[in-house]
Amino acid sequence: MRIQTEYDAIVLGAGPGGSTFGKKAAAAGMKVLVLDKKKEIGTPVRCGEGIAEHSEADLGIKVLPNAVASTIEGARVFSPNGKTIRLKTPNTRGYVLERKLFDKHLAMDAVRAGAHVLPHTLAISLLKKDGKPAGVKAVHMGEEIEFRAPLVVSAEGMEAKIAREAGFDAKATLYDVDTCFEYEMAGVPCQPYIDLYFSSRLAPRGYVWVFPKGKDVANVGIGIGGNAGQNPKALLDQFIHEHPELFSKAQPVEYKGGIISVGAPINEFVKDNFLVIGTAAHQVDPIHGGGIGLAIQAGNMAAESAVEAFKKGDYSKKNMAAYEDKWRKQVGPKLAKRLMLRKVLEKLSDDDWNHVVGSINEADLDKVLAGDYKPVVAKVLITRPTLLKVLGVLMG
Amino acid sequence: MAQKFSLDSSKCIYCAGCVSVCPVLALTLDETKILCDEGKCIACGTCEKGCPVAAIKITKPK
Repeated sequence: MRIQTEYDAIVLGAGPGGSTFGKKAAAAGMKVLVLDKKKEIGTPVRCGEGIAEHSEADLGIKVLPNAVASTIEGARVFSPNGKTIRLKTPNTRGYVLERKLFDKHLAMDAVRAGAHVLPHTLAISLLKKDGKPAGVKAVHMGEEIEFRAPLVVSAEGMEAKIAREAGFDAKATLYDVDTCFEYEMAGVPCQPYIDLYFSSRLAPRGYVWVFPKGKDVANVGIGIGGNAGQNPKALLDQFIHEHPELFSKAQPVEYKGGIISVGAPINEFVKDNFLVIGTAAHQVDPIHGGGIGLAIQAGNMAAESAVEAFKKGDYSKKNMAAYEDKWRKQVGPKLAKRLMLRKVLEKLSDDDWNHVVGSINEADLDKVLAGDYKPVVAKVLITRPTLLKVLGVLMG
Repeated sequence: MAQKFSLDSSKCIYCAGCVSVCPVLALTLDETKILCDEGKCIACGTCEKGCPVAAIKITKPK
């Protein structure tokens, strides 16, 4: 295959954000290259693979049947002493995906729209012209290649190396990440719910999840605060040991893991000739660490701005600022509320968790997920006023 | 001089979590290998603390 090196835009990373950007920009007539450092797009999987069903309509995508491992009806929250709240509404329907296929399908869609895609290509440094980004130097099949374009788009995920080299403050601190470990296990009795187990002992500042991928297959994972000073794999092994009713016949068929931002988005998404989208910009839900839908949404918004810049022949920050303005208006406030909630939940003891889960119902949980904290906090405080110190911030 | 960054590749799941938290861009994930630029590494230990499978050991230079 002959490789071309001159483009209108070079996208780093063929995850959901990068491929979405590539598809939309190519469809509008831009010559786009999407690079991915992996020889196999979508690997290794580093997440629980869940996505809400309404994301399809929200984002204008169609998840292909073979990328759907299982269909989910709702969620269940378990307190440390085993109390449960079940939430099942049209909004909680979703899928557990086969990320390896889902990501590959999005890359194929980008190709269909006219984008070039090049796996097994590691971007190693930013190229500049007159002090501005002008492409990347990358290694592909043993060869160093200079890819040139007036626009570079980082969809690099958590590593965000080229974005950081370009001057974006995309460094992740241990306080603002969760460190995660996950088994995909067979032999787990599954219901069509994503199950979340909260415990400050077994999952400090995070939770254990069981996401079904079939009748008896599930992603069983844990995410804990990056600064918790504990080993997530050891804690997950302990959780599995303490739940023989779920895991006595379970065996792992895959090991996964990673580090994910659960903090605020980075302070700037756009510079002259450079855009940052998705997880690279820490556009991640601080409660569950999910970023697939957010990356696709940002990929679409960023591509709109890039196409405008392409038409004007000017990729200055000013010309592409609409992406960031729109994101901070439409998405930012919701994530900021979720971050506030995360910072409160991480202060709860196991005893607090037992109390909270024991005193609220399905409708209350629905309100919390919708960002309507006040009435639920008021209810919890009636029977445990001492929690005001921790929960009071959510009353504002 | 002894290496600052050492990795037990039998534990590593090449998730690149270490790359994400490295404050000085010393680490790179190349397919399944984590590479450390020892010239950049400041032996701060952030990657060691963040690694989900405890595969990293940082040795501070004497």
